[in-house]
Amino acid sequence: MSSVLASPAVKTAPGFTAAQFEAFLRTLDEPAWFTARRRAAFDVYLQKLQEPLNPEEYKRVDLRAFQPGKFAVSSAAGPARFETLLEKKAEFGGAVSHIDGHCVVNRLDERLTAQGVLFGSLSEFVRNKREILEPHLMARAVLPGADRFSAWHAAFCTGGTVLYVPRNVSIDVPLYSLIGLSAAGVADFSHTLVILEDGASATLLEETGSATAENAGLHVGAVELLVGAGANLRYVQLQNWNQHVWHLARQAGRVERNATLQWTVGGIGARLAHIHQEVSLDGAGASGEVNGVTFATDRQLLSYYTQQTHKAPHTRSDLLYKDVLRDHARVVWRGMIRVDPAAQLTDGYQRNDSLLLSEDCRADAIPGLEIEADDVRCTHGATAGQVDAEQIFYCMCRGLSRYEAMHMIVEGFFHGVYDRIAVEAVRETLSEAVKRKLGIGQ
Amino acid sequence: MMSEFEKVATLDEIPAGGRKSLVFDERAVLLFRVGEGVYAVEDVCSHDGQPLTDGKLAGMSIECPRHGARFDISTGRPLCMPAVEPIATFEVRVQGNDILLRAP
Repeated sequence: MSSVLASPAVKTAPGFTAAQFEAFLRTLDEPAWFTARRRAAFDVYLQKLQEPLNPEEYKRVDLRAFQPGKFAVSSAAGPARFETLLEKKAEFGGAVSHIDGHCVVNRLDERLTAQGVLFGSLSEFVRNKREILEPHLMARAVLPGADRFSAWHAAFCTGGTVLYVPRNVSIDVPLYSLIGLSAAGVADFSHTLVILEDGASATLLEETGSATAENAGLHVGAVELLVGAGANLRYVQLQNWNQHVWHLARQAGRVERNATLQWTVGGIGARLAHIHQEVSLDGAGASGEVNGVTFATDRQLLSYYTQQTHKAPHTRSDLLYKDVLRDHARVVWRGMIRVDPAAQLTDGYQRNDSLLLSEDCRADAIPGLEIEADDVRCTHGATAGQVDAEQIFYCMCRGLSRYEAMHMIVEGFFHGVYDRIAVEAVRETLSEAVKRKLGIGQ
Repeated sequence: MMSEFEKVATLDEIPAGGRKSLVFDERAVLLFRVGEGVYAVEDVCSHDGQPLTDGKLAGMSIECPRHGARFDISTGRPLCMPAVEPIATFEVRVQGNDILLRAP
């Protein structure tokens, strides 16, 4: 631990005041167009700080113990070596890693580079790929004015990962991205931007993780997934911070005509995580599938505010979140399917299942529908229940320990969502993360 | 292992019958001064998971401002519906003018 604490990270002063924002800008070497956007976002941030957060979204997210002044952007990257769950599970065609908000690994298979694929650091691409980034970056999916946290993110963005796949280019191997926190008290404002042009296809597996079990951190992130007509994107984000990290993120996908987006989120770590996740089906025949696996223990609070928006006819969305809770943990899921008047003949589904492993945990599931078209199929459901003591007893009679029995039951519960995840490495990683959290094999 | 007591406030900050909101052990906590005693509870209603901060205090009971659940501030015990679960309480020690808390 001492090596991490002793890393030469010199931070700007805690807090995010105007003076500290200017000091942060001076540490960057960015083109004027991007700096101008940051300044505009900072103004929005100051304005949003004066306004209350949307109670519909934040009522159940208790931010009273959140003290932003304890965190600051780091001026140096932590160690590049980083123990992760997902990285060794598959062969990747490229990898981008950010530690403490700084890019430390950046590689892409030459064959993909030759096809015009871009995969690398946002800080680099804002300098030399303006024509590709400017029309998309925080302009179509996650807007800086959306709320306090997206404005804060847009102002202090510490870089992130960009994937751009040109028209009709298909990437068969998955790509890997890591967002890591290492030193204590670091604030990370990573951005993930994926642009698939028409007919392209790609798989991006992203994970977040902490170098130590005790260093507190802050992640105010954004994810933008822009899927062109007929394109096919599989995106996974496995959130696996330690239990002292605050994670606040806005994530949005836009899916054009006949395109598909399969989006999987894993929520394992964090002291408190709140994710605003939107899938917008913009073109006829677009399809979005969202899978969620969350496992909360101790005093964790994991909150998801999901929105599936149907904007065109013949679109399909299918969301399944499965949560397991233990100890005093709390999971909140608030989901909405919105159907615009033009989106006839759409098919929308959302479901949330919660398995409660203790008396003191709490799951809030609030599904919702807002339908303005008159010829659609939209359904939703939510369940919550405890582990059947007889099932545990049955397993223990066959020689399993209580932990192993519990693991089998939890694994079985999650299987319904694992079966929908096409990438084997992700299924294995989620399963291993769950196992570790249950304390098996330790 | 029991954690240590930690100073969180002073007596002169809280008038008799008054209260103070603070964050302790990464949790929102409400301190009350009733008669000679100081009491600390987690500032979250066990019924709806929302704050008790501005709830009415009558004797030793705090009332949730939304649905009327009441809790004993010395034990956390629920006193009426709709709450059926207790709220968390913290061990309080007063040393001179200092108020100290210990995480459960």
